[in-house]
Amino acid sequence: MIATVITLIARRLLAAIPILLIVSALLFCLLRTLPVDPAAMSLPPNATIAEIEAKRREMGLDRPLPEQYVIWLHGALHGDLGQSIQLRRPAGSLVTATLPATIQLAVAAMVIAGALGFGGGLLLFHLRGTMLEPVADLVSILLLSIPEFLWGLILLFVFGVLLRALPFTGEVAPGLPVPHISGFLLIDSLLIGHPDVFYSACRHLVLPATALGLAFSPTIMRVLRSSLFDVYHEEYIQQARLRGLSERQVLLGHALKNAALPTLTLAGVQFGILFSGTLLVEVIYSYPGMGNLMVDAVRNADLPLIQAIGLTYCIVVLLINTAVDSLYLVLNPKLRVR
Amino acid sequence: MAAALQACDLVVDARIGDALVPVIRDLSFELQAGKILGLIGESGAGKSMVGRAVAQLLPQGFAITAGALFFEGKDLLKMPPAHRRFLLGRAIGFIPQAPLTALNPVLTIGAQFDEHLARLGCTSSRERRQSAVAMLEAARLPRPSDLLRCYPHQLSGGMCQRVLIAMAFASDPRLVIADEPTTALDVTLHAPIIRLIADMQRRHRTAVLFITHDLRLAAQICDDVIVMYAGRAVESGPARAVLSNPAHPYTRCLQLANPSMQGDCRALYVMPEQMPSLRQLAGMSGCHFAPRCPLAMEDCQRVAPPDQTIAPGRRAACLHVATTPSIAAKAPAAMAASAAARPVLALEGVHKRYIVRAGLLGTARIVTAVKNASFSIRENEFVALVGESGSGKSTIARLLVGLEQPDAGRILLNGEDVGSASARNHDLRTKSLQMVFQDPYSALNPRRRIASIVTQAMEAGSRHADWDQRLARTRDLLAEVGLPSDLATRFPHQLSGGQRQRINIARALCTLPTVLIADEIVSGLDVSIQAQLLNLLARLRAELGFAMLFISHDLSAVRFLCSRVLVMYRGEIVEEGPTETVFADPRHSHTRALVSSVPPDNPEAPWPAFDVAQPTV
Repeated sequence: MIATVITLIARRLLAAIPILLIVSALLFCLLRTLPVDPAAMSLPPNATIAEIEAKRREMGLDRPLPEQYVIWLHGALHGDLGQSIQLRRPAGSLVTATLPATIQLAVAAMVIAGALGFGGGLLLFHLRGTMLEPVADLVSILLLSIPEFLWGLILLFVFGVLLRALPFTGEVAPGLPVPHISGFLLIDSLLIGHPDVFYSACRHLVLPATALGLAFSPTIMRVLRSSLFDVYHEEYIQQARLRGLSERQVLLGHALKNAALPTLTLAGVQFGILFSGTLLVEVIYSYPGMGNLMVDAVRNADLPLIQAIGLTYCIVVLLINTAVDSLYLVLNPKLRVR
Repeated sequence: MAAALQACDLVVDARIGDALVPVIRDLSFELQAGKILGLIGESGAGKSMVGRAVAQLLPQGFAITAGALFFEGKDLLKMPPAHRRFLLGRAIGFIPQAPLTALNPVLTIGAQFDEHLARLGCTSSRERRQSAVAMLEAARLPRPSDLLRCYPHQLSGGMCQRVLIAMAFASDPRLVIADEPTTALDVTLHAPIIRLIADMQRRHRTAVLFITHDLRLAAQICDDVIVMYAGRAVESGPARAVLSNPAHPYTRCLQLANPSMQGDCRALYVMPEQMPSLRQLAGMSGCHFAPRCPLAMEDCQRVAPPDQTIAPGRRAACLHVATTPSIAAKAPAAMAASAAARPVLALEGVHKRYIVRAGLLGTARIVTAVKNASFSIRENEFVALVGESGSGKSTIARLLVGLEQPDAGRILLNGEDVGSASARNHDLRTKSLQMVFQDPYSALNPRRRIASIVTQAMEAGSRHADWDQRLARTRDLLAEVGLPSDLATRFPHQLSGGQRQRINIARALCTLPTVLIADEIVSGLDVSIQAQLLNLLARLRAELGFAMLFISHDLSAVRFLCSRVLVMYRGEIVEEGPTETVFADPRHSHTRALVSSVPPDNPEAPWPAFDVAQPTV
């Protein structure tokens, strides 16, 4: 089985190479068609035309587009994603500084979405045929129609402003030390032995992660329920009952494992969408992640930075999909080669 | 001592719309400890519902509304659900119909066995493992300890069924309900699986409720039988007595509808129509079988026949029991394929390999599906292709109609090689070859009306015709296959399985092919529907003059319909010849296995492949 999983990962990584080349080329061309001049932007407003021209040559913007791309690609392969025009720092280091925070948010949101989705799905399934079913159905559809930024605003208003129960700006309370070891604040705070930082970071994570998680749980909920319905038509469920297993054993021991497979596939696809959903939520909660960096970069037409962030999103989504497919392979014995 | 299972005037109702329709009415029987009771009938007769009623796991909308069901004297219906559940899997075991889907695909055999044994109260996991191995061994499964690590999809259907039989008998139950335990398996497995059930039954002194549609099988294994029709027990008594001398017209008709394997090839008795559906049952009075019964008189429509004792231990629900033996099939249609006819379709040394890839760089494994296949079909000749699943029968069908191309060899249609996939060959093929598919349910597009399905071939190309012409052709074809013309505007889901298979045949006949390729077209159907279709094909053959390659695992259907037979085994045609000769004197060991897997027609005759008296190792 391990061999099969390794095979799958290796195949995916091989396939990722052309995908990344295509995405980076697309991004590159797209950004160059924007009516902005990075050379002029990187100089003071009173710069002369000649100065701008000199800067253009210096930045290589006078060369043909394919050549520019090759130069960029050469740099990217050597770990140089260019210089941020606005912040005047390497785009790569800006991304690596903010990526862990975003991953932390996305993972927390996925855990919440998974817990709510599976719990809700089981509840929905449990209520089948009862008077409460239409009500539960309605609630799940209502949840399905609320996007993550609306949840962000609702939670911010209710728990942050009205109840003052939870913080709603930043990653950690101001004044606390922010360690930089792995970049993941939750891990680093424990590594340096500051439980207060960990606690504060957790509290700061609750609202944005819940907002994202809430937005993505209804899909999981509904898919789990419908997969459970499908699985309950299978012969082995009937056979398990005929062996005298209780309904609880049938559901948790036999049906759930089978119904989880399609749900997991969906969750994998969702995770990619959820990852880009961090963008809006980060902005709402002033969370210092890649999303906020992206918004700044877009606002300032900071082309190298946009390019770097876009590529990072692509890599993360590819990695997540590979991970989910590997997990699927582990859980579904039928996919393993005999 | 109380009977292992006793039913007293059991009634199961189904809710259809606002009405309650009895699916089982007033069923009474007694199954003594250590005996095998057969419930026989076609699908929809309510026989499976009896098994489900024991566990009270009825489909939605079904409920037991009257009567009693005693397990060793205790009423299962009055028992609290927890008590009943305690008995399930412990004192009452179940052997399912579809073994491959009755095991959880994501759990190993070991995990499922372990769960069962743990529930039975075995606390030590080592002991559970040991007894699982012992039980799988008793079910004659090879290398049981390796098997425990396998997932169900890694086993064959026969092995899965052995696992399930081992599980059912693991608790030393007093009652086992076996619901069509061999129907989903290859014919060659029928005898061994039945023998295993019978051995286990004798060893554990278990009472078995054996649900089957196969009269010949029931005669071999059962002590007593109950024949069910539309929810009623129409006849009951000692198995051999009932089946060698049926008292109820339905039992007799069913027997005559089954093609025989021995003696002269007789015509099939064709019962008209089909068993009434639940909806039709709602408004029915009198004897339910009367609309199809050759003996029905005016009084049958009026009163429901009482269940009366006709001989010691034998009961039948019919007003005209005495005339039953007079039912006979009409004389067979003469089947004379002139040997001089020219071959229309021929395979010459056809090979087909599939490459199965695995691993990172695709370490290819070659599977040979068809090896050096050569045969020919003459004009108006019906040739059978038999063999177990996976022997390459369907691959040959796919090669013939051009869904696949042979790796070597030639496919000659009227002397022309049409093996490769060119547009011209495709055209030649569609003109002369048509295929009828196995599953009547999935072979018809659910969103099209029957007329549009049947005349699909007239939709485009050289045979393009306008809608009026297509409707006219539909009416002709429907008449040809014996269906009313008002079906033309219906959708497939409004038809029954037998009707759909006729539509399938009608579609293939639309352009009147030279050769019809029929892949297991009567396999999933009930005996009476199968008889209708077999007779239909025999009639169409005489009327329309096409030839057919009849792919089947059902030897008696083959014997009825085909003059020549090809036996396939592991991709090779191992035996070929006139049907009578091959079946009477099989040369290849696989042919012998196939022929001996069919229980004898005569209920009193021994079935060598089964023969419980012989100890088996």
